[in-house]
Amino acid sequence: MNDRAAVPQVNGKAAPSGASNGATTSNELGSVLIRVNVNGVPRSLAVPPTLTLKNLLREELALTGTKGGCEAGDCGSCTVLLDGEPVTSCLVLAVELDGREVRTVEGLGDHGELHPLQKSFIKHGALQCGYCIPGMMMSAVALIERNPEPSEAEIVEALAGNLCRCGTYPRIIKAIQSWRDFAETPLDTKPHPDDEHAPAGEARNGKSAEALRLRGRHAVVTEGVTRYDGPDKVSGRAVYTADIQLPGTVHGKILGSPIAHGIIRRLDTSKAEAIPGVLAVITGKDVPDTKYGVSPARYDEHVLAKERVRYVGDEVAAVAAVDEATAQQALAAIDVEYEELPAVFDAESAIQPDAPQIHPETPRFAGNLNTVVEWDFGDIDAAFENSHLVREKRFVGNRTYQSPLEPHATIARWEHHGERLTIWSSTQTPHYLQKQLSRVLGLEMGNIRVIRPAVGGGFGVKAEVTPLDLCAAILAKRVGRPVKMCYSREEMVRHFRGRHKQTIDLKIGLDREGRIQAVHHRVLLDGGAYTSYGVITAYYAGSMLPTLYRFENYRYEGKRVFTNLPACGAFRGHGVPQPRFAFESLLDDMAHELGIDPFEIRMRNAMEPNTRTINALDISSCEFRATLEQARQRSGWTEKKGKLKRGKGIGVGCGGFVSGAGYPIYRSNFPHSNALIRVHEDGHAATLHIAASEIGQGSDTVLVQIAAEELGIPYERVWLVECDSTLAPIDLGSYSSRVTLMGGNAVKMAAADAKAKVLQAAARKLGCDPHGLTAREGRIYIAEHEEVGMPWHEAAHLAFCANGPVIGTGHYSPPELGGDFKGSAVGTSPAYSFSTAVAEVSVDLETGYVTVERITDSSDAGTVINPVTFHGQVEGSAIMGIGEALTEDTLFDEQGKLKNGNLHDYLIPSIAETPRIDTTAVESFEPRGPFGAKEIGEGSLLPIVGAIANAIYDACGVRVTELPITPEKILAGLEQNATA
Amino acid sequence: MTVTATLQHHRPRTLAEACELGRELGARAVYLAGGTELVPPANVAGRLPGEHLISLRELDALRGVQQEADGTLRVGAMTTLAELTREPLVAEHCPALAETARLMAGEQVRTLATVGGNFCAAVACADLPPVCLALEATLAVQGAGEERRVPVEEFIRGPRRTVLQPGELLTALCIPPQPKGSGTTTQRFSLRRGNALAVASVCARLTVENGQIREARLALGAVAPVPRLVPAVHELLAGKPADAALFETAAQAASEAAQPISDVRASAAFRHQLVQRLAKRALEEAVQRASAPTTEGAA
Ligand SMILES: Cc1cc2nc3c(=O)[nH]c(=O)nc-3n(C[C@@H](O)[C@@H](O)[C@H](O)COP(=O)(O)OP(=O)(O)OC[C@H]3O[C@@H](n4cnc5c(N)ncnc54)[C@H](O)[C@@H]3O)c2cc1C
Ligand code: FES
Ligand code: FES
Repeated sequence: MNDRAAVPQVNGKAAPSGASNGATTSNELGSVLIRVNVNGVPRSLAVPPTLTLKNLLREELALTGTKGGCEAGDCGSCTVLLDGEPVTSCLVLAVELDGREVRTVEGLGDHGELHPLQKSFIKHGALQCGYCIPGMMMSAVALIERNPEPSEAEIVEALAGNLCRCGTYPRIIKAIQSWRDFAETPLDTKPHPDDEHAPAGEARNGKSAEALRLRGRHAVVTEGVTRYDGPDKVSGRAVYTADIQLPGTVHGKILGSPIAHGIIRRLDTSKAEAIPGVLAVITGKDVPDTKYGVSPARYDEHVLAKERVRYVGDEVAAVAAVDEATAQQALAAIDVEYEELPAVFDAESAIQPDAPQIHPETPRFAGNLNTVVEWDFGDIDAAFENSHLVREKRFVGNRTYQSPLEPHATIARWEHHGERLTIWSSTQTPHYLQKQLSRVLGLEMGNIRVIRPAVGGGFGVKAEVTPLDLCAAILAKRVGRPVKMCYSREEMVRHFRGRHKQTIDLKIGLDREGRIQAVHHRVLLDGGAYTSYGVITAYYAGSMLPTLYRFENYRYEGKRVFTNLPACGAFRGHGVPQPRFAFESLLDDMAHELGIDPFEIRMRNAMEPNTRTINALDISSCEFRATLEQARQRSGWTEKKGKLKRGKGIGVGCGGFVSGAGYPIYRSNFPHSNALIRVHEDGHAATLHIAASEIGQGSDTVLVQIAAEELGIPYERVWLVECDSTLAPIDLGSYSSRVTLMGGNAVKMAAADAKAKVLQAAARKLGCDPHGLTAREGRIYIAEHEEVGMPWHEAAHLAFCANGPVIGTGHYSPPELGGDFKGSAVGTSPAYSFSTAVAEVSVDLETGYVTVERITDSSDAGTVINPVTFHGQVEGSAIMGIGEALTEDTLFDEQGKLKNGNLHDYLIPSIAETPRIDTTAVESFEPRGPFGAKEIGEGSLLPIVGAIANAIYDACGVRVTELPITPEKILAGLEQNATA
Repeated sequence: MTVTATLQHHRPRTLAEACELGRELGARAVYLAGGTELVPPANVAGRLPGEHLISLRELDALRGVQQEADGTLRVGAMTTLAELTREPLVAEHCPALAETARLMAGEQVRTLATVGGNFCAAVACADLPPVCLALEATLAVQGAGEERRVPVEEFIRGPRRTVLQPGELLTALCIPPQPKGSGTTTQRFSLRRGNALAVASVCARLTVENGQIREARLALGAVAPVPRLVPAVHELLAGKPADAALFETAAQAASEAAQPISDVRASAAFRHQLVQRLAKRALEEAVQRASAPTTEGAA
């Protein structure tokens, strides 16, 4: 809250003597001796009065299962039990703990056996990135110890203070409700029966024959298995970057500009350097001249400002010190004099001729124009002319922030003879991080080792190198010690890279039957001060509209503009959710005008398989119609639409996304995904080496399944190495929903390669042709004579003894894709996903408050490799979509200062916002995907916002065109309707 | 957050000690209750305010909920919000207080946050002051001399300002026995269901006698610099039977009495609207409770 406690003025200097009157006081240094029982172990500790319980646990006692995400009591990731009651440990001072008892996630379970609740979380797939889970677990333990059979309402009340950005709430509720079911069962990899088989509903007539042929053929993929990372994440064992404590570590902090636009006239660091404990201070003159960024043609960021600052928070200097507080103190002592320049905070003003120029030294950015896209396909003028109904409307999609619960963190250490750099970073894209470090530091990629520990959510915000990574590397070189740098919640939001603000002018022409004749789509993107992912965003905002509905006449004009606000980047659904919201809203209004049912109009325009879109995207598999059919049926649309009482509404929205970008971010000939599989010497297991990035979506699980399936051994027998560039070859990372398809293909190929070697050995032993052999579930046998065979591990053992290490390699690159017009690469992909969502809402007509009651989603994700992770992603998207639709927007004041860089005024959905969610997949098979798989992580978010907006319109007749759809806007709309 | 060299932690064992320490240290000291107001800004600043932290944890005099001889419910200042939601005496004598506490923060903050801190922090959107205004509560203040009781409306002097002088502690929240035939409710609006601060709240207590409203106490939260009563509502309703149109007028008066600001959560205009609608609901709900067979006052 921005109006916090009454704080007395500090006016004295020395500490008074004799103030204690026999009461216990701290000693002269301020430390206090406390006795506290932590997880059953009594401890005596001397603690300074400002140390929080959270930091005591994490930093002094190395109990890093307790996390931190806000330091303000808002997120609950630091929840522990204090005398049996849940508390946010970031708000408890350690000095207050004397004589008390603390229990953390490490204290659950019994002699290595997980607590039944932990098992239940694993069985239900009630975890994704895992960052919120220890805190959730502790709140849940407190609840079930008080009330072993809590109702759903009681669970919601007890957990409302624990945020989960992955939206795992529905599974968490189920896991808590049935925790006792798993008390006696030993932990295996079988999920809860609900998730045992790949979901598939009523298939429509033209269902893919291949999908049916494959049904039941697999031993591991499409069968439910629990998540690979489950046990580590429920026990607090999973290591995130900030959990790592290297010996000798010092702490770094960055000074941000206090003004939105100006020139640094003088910068004096001497006072900061003189502070005891400060080891290094760097400024713009200490960093390379090389600029970095995402798109090579528009690298526009210096590690630290050389001269000009362009937004409040723009990096000006960085400090390394013995601890964070000293570093913070040093920042305050850095003296900077700015010449303040006029600033501009909205895109419309930024492109006026007299607007302040934000990048005057870069001619291609003249007029504050960052990227301009002009596409014109077919003949829209003629097509509008011939349309029966033409409508145009302006929509605004706002600056939402990914808000992963884990703030970014980095540790850098120079090693060997000082010429090798190892960096631990919470990144989605280890390779792009390595690449940029290499460019900026002038160091070969081969001398940079990138380790990606567990990542507590990304959603796009961790898909690029950060100033933390770069400053840590530079500072570590200077001080000769490891440097750790972590963003606070506010710092991460200030750095931003969230969604662009898009102002969309959308015009659609329909024929009498509602078939789309022409689309004119104009988007002004407010990109903030730097390019980041913005070029790609500007293209995506236009390229993805034609993948869902068929139309031949399309004009897209996209303009990404610089303003003096933090840079916008890539956020789940990259550039597409807002245009999708606009399209789904306008299409619904037009259907209404024509008297066509919203489902019907979508059916009439739906994409067909094997289509080349007007902008040269090749759609291969496509069961969009089946998703419409299934969502209509399962939501009870026909019974509800038009029959609900005022204040209740139902709406449909659709969406879809790429399954991996067709081209890398910078030009290179590296295969996009690469994998190694090493079969262990005794043949009992195999280790998968891949640098794909598990960020919560479940990619580790899916890749291990694919490896196991192809090798022909059980899921339990595949290991996955931690993501480390010295252990695994390059993978482009987790963005554009690419891992299942691209990483999966590379893994499948590597597994096939390794398996061939094992089959060779088996064939020698069995005296048959290796081509006649099948490997499945740990056994190798002659396909025609199943009884003739041998255990897989014996064959693998023989293979090793004969030829040494049994290693398989695999790689994947998409085929040549796209057209020959400028920017045609963005939007290309080997495959596309399709989803339909139905939202049911209730609107409080007096206050405008919206409750999303139910989401019914049906997706074409190709073959569902793992039901647990599939449902998890769709549910998480539904919940994230609720936030995007209703509450989320990053706000700045008139000076460009961030107003809600926290989790109490930037409201992401809590467990109390969880609607009923029904998720299903349709039968589908993608020939380019591993075992027919496509993507689900981003496509599933796309239909949600439009569906909710349409349901709100249905409930109360108010069409809000600017996100988020706040109660205030709804009331304004109701009033307008009343007077109209 | 780490050491601020001069910060000292004190753990007085008695109320007298705590007051004396506060008096001696004056503005250099700060009392620490649950810490949920004090610690978040300290986590950002890297330091706590003041040079001395006086912990109130050990003071038994500030704990527990008791009923005094005249029926007044005495809620110790160190009672946590979580305790409020579970305390049987509170549930029995003023359920509205427990209901309000349940709407606040999340469980892990409710376990820490204290009743005393909620009043002493004196923030505009605090949730206990409005309902306590409606309940006609007073606050027990202990300084050097005798305990004094200050009505809630006098305790909060302005944003982040209370009547407390250095060396004075808030010891208890005192809720008098509720009048026969009264009903109290809190209508709170926030932008998210779980764990979100109030954008506006309206608390009302109506006392009904022989089908006529004898007294109406309606208080506003989060829509003025400090929580406040709206006397105009009493003037409009007193002596009249409950009636929808009348409530509409009263709600309008409540809305006019609000002095909201526009901030990140909402605009002033929207808050005015909210107050009007929440006030209407509060009055309707309160009158219903007042006429229900098991009303607070009747118990
Ligand atoms: C995540 C979060 C959510 C929140 N949600 C809500 C909400 O929904 N509604 C709401 O009203 N508030 C909310 N708050 C604010 C919450 O901190 C206060 O309501 C809480 O009651 C303060 O109590 P405390 O014991 O923690 O105060 P402290 O932080 O310990 O103290 C606050 C101030 O009061 C003084 N003080 C405390 N006790 C005494 C005493 N007995 N005598 C004299 N001075 C004293 C302290 O010196 C300090 O200046 C929220 C806070 C957080 C962190
Ligand atoms: S870190 Fe404690 S609640 Fe977020
Ligand atoms: S699993 Fe909850 S935040 Fe990721």
